[in-house]
Amino acid sequence: MINNKIGIISCSGEECLGGTISRLAVRKMMEELKPGMVSTLCLPLFIAGDGGEREFAEKYPTIAVDGCSKCCAKRAIEKYSNQVAGSVDVAEIIGEDKALEKPLSTRHLTDEHHEYVNKTAAITCQIFDDILAKQ
Amino acid sequence: MSKIKVIPCSGIGKVFGLLARESVLMVTEEKCPNDTETLCLAHVVTGDDEVVAKINGKSCITMDGCAKYCAKKSVEETGGVVVKSHKVPDFMKAHRGEEHGTGTALTQDGWNYAEELAEILAADVKEIKGGGDLL
Ligand code: SF4
Ligand code: SF4
Repeated sequence: MINNKIGIISCSGEECLGGTISRLAVRKMMEELKPGMVSTLCLPLFIAGDGGEREFAEKYPTIAVDGCSKCCAKRAIEKYSNQVAGSVDVAEIIGEDKALEKPLSTRHLTDEHHEYVNKTAAITCQIFDDILAKQ
Repeated sequence: MSKIKVIPCSGIGKVFGLLARESVLMVTEEKCPNDTETLCLAHVVTGDDEVVAKINGKSCITMDGCAKYCAKKSVEETGGVVVKSHKVPDFMKAHRGEEHGTGTALTQDGWNYAEELAEILAADVKEIKGGGDLL
């Protein structure tokens, strides 16, 4: 382990609402809930990157935050880097039908969407704290 | 004939990824909904049969957040034909000095720039359709 940071990677799915929520929950972790303690990476860099990106999940215990039950981030991290230390599926939090609704521009975020982001971030935060406690 | 796939990268750390994402959503949801669709780049990265079937040999336009070109590379890796490829910083010259926001939210200048990027993408769609080389 290179320091006490924890990796959090969202799928940021562009095709449905769950992807937008996953992305905003990770941003909330970075900016509000655990500032300075989160290390993140653009997910596709695992395969497109030519630097040391594939070592990411070996360096940091990493939490995957996915927008739906396809769990693309979790699977991509495990395929190209290492086992994840925890995972969150937005569809389990807001329901699969909701998660698969049309993708959302941040211009059109409502109070309901903010609530989804808060719930997803709170669950991610819980996993984060559990990992930290075990270190 | 299938819809043109317009795919942004999943950049999450800086504003460029959000500009790519929002400009693509403007095209697929508002400007050209009948001719275009987007796909989750993280799903493309997994190489699942379902997503390969959607993209393999099909016309794609990519909008990346930086010179790592994750969307372009990942789409090509999965068999998509990248007919047009852009990156957000390519069009920054006229916007030097503006503050576009963060990976979480855009400022008004950021929205204006996203709109400009969306117009570039919409012109690509028109050109591809007009040229009759839609795959
Ligand atoms: S987990 Fe679901 S929302 Fe996220 S990239 Fe995959 S298909 Fe898209
Ligand atoms: S192109 Fe750049 S901003 Fe976009 S996902 Fe790749 S590294 Fe991130």
